Amino acid sequence: MKKGILLASALIAGMFAGTSAQAAGRDYISIVGSSTVYPFSTVVAEQFGKTTNFKTPKIESTGTGGGFKLFCSGVGVEYPDISNASRAIKQSEYDSCQANGVKDIVEVKIGYDGIVFANSKKSAPLKLTRKDIFLALAKNVPDPKGGDKLVPNPYKTWNEIDPALPKEKIEVLGPPPTSGTRDAFVELTMEAGAKSFPFIHDMEKKEKNMFKATTQTIREDGAYIEAGENDNLIVQKLEANPHAVGIFGFSFLDQNADMIQGSLIDNESPTFENIASGKYPVSRPLFFYVKKAHADVIPGIKEYLGEFTSDKAWGNEGYLADKGMIPMDKTEREHFAEQAKDLKTLTMKQVK
Amino acid sequence: MESLFQTAESGALATAPKEEILSEVTSNTLHKARETVGDPFVENPRMTCREVNVYYGEKKAINNVNIDIARNEVIAMIGPSGCGKSTFLRCLNRMNDTIEGCRVTGDIRLDGMDIHDKNVDVVPLRARVGMVFQKPNPFPKSIFDNVAYGPKIHGLVQNKSELEEIVEASLKKAGLWEEAKDRLNQPGTGLSGGQQQRLCIARAIAVSPEVILMDEPCSALDPIATAKIEELIAELCEHYSIVIVTHSMQQAARVSQRTAYFHLGDLIEVGKTDRIFTNPRHQLTEDYITGRFG
Amino acid sequence: MDQPATNPTIDKMNRGLKRRYRAERRFRICGATAVFTALCFLFLLFFSIVSSGYKAFQKTSIQINVFFDPAEFTNENLATANFPGLIKASMSAMFPEVTSRSDKKDLYYLISPGASFQLINLVKDNPALIGQTQQIWVSANDDVDMLLKGNIDRTRPESERRINDKQLAWLDTLAGERKIKKTFNTTFFTRGDSREPELAGIWGATCGSFYTLLITLTLSFPIGIAAAVYLEEFAPKNRWTDIIEVNINNLAAVPSIVYGLLGLAVFINFFGMPRSTPLVGGLILTLMTLPVIIIASRASLKSVPPSIREAALGIGASKMQMVAHHVLPLALPGMLTGTIIGMARALGESAPLLMVGMVAFIVDIPQGFTDPATVLPVQIYLWSDSPERAFMEKTSAAIMVLLVFLLLMNAVAIFLRKRFEIKW
Repeated sequence: MKKGILLASALIAGMFAGTSAQAAGRDYISIVGSSTVYPFSTVVAEQFGKTTNFKTPKIESTGTGGGFKLFCSGVGVEYPDISNASRAIKQSEYDSCQANGVKDIVEVKIGYDGIVFANSKKSAPLKLTRKDIFLALAKNVPDPKGGDKLVPNPYKTWNEIDPALPKEKIEVLGPPPTSGTRDAFVELTMEAGAKSFPFIHDMEKKEKNMFKATTQTIREDGAYIEAGENDNLIVQKLEANPHAVGIFGFSFLDQNADMIQGSLIDNESPTFENIASGKYPVSRPLFFYVKKAHADVIPGIKEYLGEFTSDKAWGNEGYLADKGMIPMDKTEREHFAEQAKDLKTLTMKQVK
Repeated sequence: MESLFQTAESGALATAPKEEILSEVTSNTLHKARETVGDPFVENPRMTCREVNVYYGEKKAINNVNIDIARNEVIAMIGPSGCGKSTFLRCLNRMNDTIEGCRVTGDIRLDGMDIHDKNVDVVPLRARVGMVFQKPNPFPKSIFDNVAYGPKIHGLVQNKSELEEIVEASLKKAGLWEEAKDRLNQPGTGLSGGQQQRLCIARAIAVSPEVILMDEPCSALDPIATAKIEELIAELCEHYSIVIVTHSMQQAARVSQRTAYFHLGDLIEVGKTDRIFTNPRHQLTEDYITGRFG
Repeated sequence: MDQPATNPTIDKMNRGLKRRYRAERRFRICGATAVFTALCFLFLLFFSIVSSGYKAFQKTSIQINVFFDPAEFTNENLATANFPGLIKASMSAMFPEVTSRSDKKDLYYLISPGASFQLINLVKDNPALIGQTQQIWVSANDDVDMLLKGNIDRTRPESERRINDKQLAWLDTLAGERKIKKTFNTTFFTRGDSREPELAGIWGATCGSFYTLLITLTLSFPIGIAAAVYLEEFAPKNRWTDIIEVNINNLAAVPSIVYGLLGLAVFINFFGMPRSTPLVGGLILTLMTLPVIIIASRASLKSVPPSIREAALGIGASKMQMVAHHVLPLALPGMLTGTIIGMARALGESAPLLMVGMVAFIVDIPQGFTDPATVLPVQIYLWSDSPERAFMEKTSAAIMVLLVFLLLMNAVAIFLRKRFEIKW
């Protein structure tokens, strides 16, 4: 009995001794942020950990917004060094960083991620336009009978939108509002598609809120099904239901090419080459942000940046491309590699 | 001080008419206690109980009981169910302390020592006033450990051989030695009901008590086991005072020298066992003994 | 009433009798159906997990002839040598007809990128290898693995496969030369996480779970039992203890994510403990399991018969002695069972750990309580969300491992109960 108590107290004491030792320094890089960038940064981290004498960085998948929240909390070993993001940092996030003493932030763009619309190979491939997607998924759409009026979305089947499309029920599986993929998809397809209507296009300047509400609100009558954050699940559901269309990142299409096919959007198919060349319209840039103040404190940050921005990682033939990330072109790569090397900090002006 | 109390009190009680004392005592209680018939007091008592009242919350369970327990006697407490005889028994070693909401007032003395005194520790008290319960309740340990437990916790022994001596002596006194000596390391719970009860008695006497309280010790036993226990009680009273609560009037008649009859929290009648069973003075006692209710 | 006189009471009883038996039969059928349905679902669950996961316990290896070219090992640090180059050279040597750049890339793709790490370790352990040629089995790429396990259909058109026709031909050649084999997947049980499915293992998460649960056990067991003993045996029964009791019962039902938020606020933000560590995770799971342990312990204390308490008190044991010598030993099996069930729940918990950064990609095996770590259920969650198809079978395999651990813990609970159970 007494021995047990002694042992337990020794254990607890040891734990706290360990804590204080840990607080004094951290010998591994701590990375947080986007779940879209996660599969890519983890590959780099693993490569980095195995080929150098540094510890493998720890990467948390917190989502872009959650990542910035942690990243901008302050400077010190208890805060992360790098934040991954599937969009550029927002003004509000930048301000909060500044307020908490995170003054110098280095922005590194790493490549692109295509967002694909895909259905099962058991059905014919779809040829969609962004306007079609807007009409199929928005909560309120322009009156099909004409006029500059918004009516609740009346479309039930694809061929009601465009007679060339199949006579199938509109059934789209996509990410929930918490996902960065959803933000990007709304911005890149819904907004763009809505703008093909002149009166909505005009709305953008005059009534910004109305414009946002029109373009960003997705119908809630069952045609759009929020399938959770797990893209593998969407792929499996598509396989089971040939009439459904799914929305997810390019890498999942890449891995499951035997089961699903990407829909053409504005006549471009979602292939590696098309996304890389910018022909395929629905792709978004991916970033990570580095806390400059940590670069000299935490061992390995500069080397990690070096690994990430090397051609064998993010180049056209690099291992990130194997994992489904779409690389930038050569000049852009050189530009950002330079920025990463010099730890060139982000200025107020660059933040939108 | 103690002796002063004893002489003064017993003297007063001996001389003054009982009726007066009792009415004085009960004037501040809720209902008037029934007067005790017979003589509840003895010369040179082991324990004295004066004006003992027990309350369960608001309910009064024992009503102003006065009685003495003599040395080396067996006193039986009888009465219908719910009459308070077990409750009273549990006052004698303060077992009622463990019951939530139970309150005991009055003066109980063991060899002149007030057991409710602030300076009295309940732990040695319970060693001096041992208890045997209705249902045999040996610890789920070996026979040896059951008996050895009391001496161990009270620090009565210095080494193992002393402990073994005590265990053997106690088991012998409890008449269990012959049956148990070859299986001391087997669990006490493996014994038969009667053996278990004798084991409990051995456990109680291992700490050399002065008084042994027995709360219906035979009610869960068959007649043969009962007979053995009764035999044992007769032997034990050479060394100890024994207070036995029983439902069986035959048992009371067989084992006890004195008998106290309880009725609804009142001590109705006390006297020599022969006299109580042959010539009860109180109507209630007579009704109970003749089986008119029970 | 022309019939012979009968006892009307018996008649009435007989009429009701049939109905009573019918009701009993109905209830029995309902119960049996319920049990059967539950068993079906359980079987379905096991079947789906095992059928998709059992293949993960095998992995595909390819044999290559590596020439450890001394020209490559000029640097002091052997690890900086061009190991991928060595592998590429040996692959090219096996298929000299492959010359074009893109074909070479396809050829090298067959070997896992982890193979070079394997060579690094070989050379580090035995520098004498330099200058020699060795036949070495190296891991195949996950797509090759999937193909050989039949998870990629080779009859599909080339564009729909991740293994193209040329690669198929090479693999067939290798298979013909008996240079491809499937072996037991030790990697899976000995390595940490990886983004390459063929290199990913469960050991890192297992260690993380172990350290986390060790903290949980060392804290929650003594605290839980002490709290239960105090509340049950010593605390006065008044309004305060009633409030405490209600609160403990409520806490047991609080969603686990709430504990995660609490832990984030208290342990990380206030005490400044490091994120993503078993220390913080263990503390949170301690908070989560405490109510379970306290409730189970109190229940088992309550079930100790009062006669034992009276026996102990009656012989002059103090309250503490009564509890320590008699009540606790009798209540211990129940307490242990409650504790292990609480620990099993903690083992399967991932939601509260999400809040404190234990949902993370961690390659290095955690060595202590303050190393970043993840736990088994989190590893399952992370793998299930990975695009590579080979992670699907890893996910199922990890679930099997977790289930085995849960079964083991429950078996231990049953064993302890049987072992320490004292009959009276």
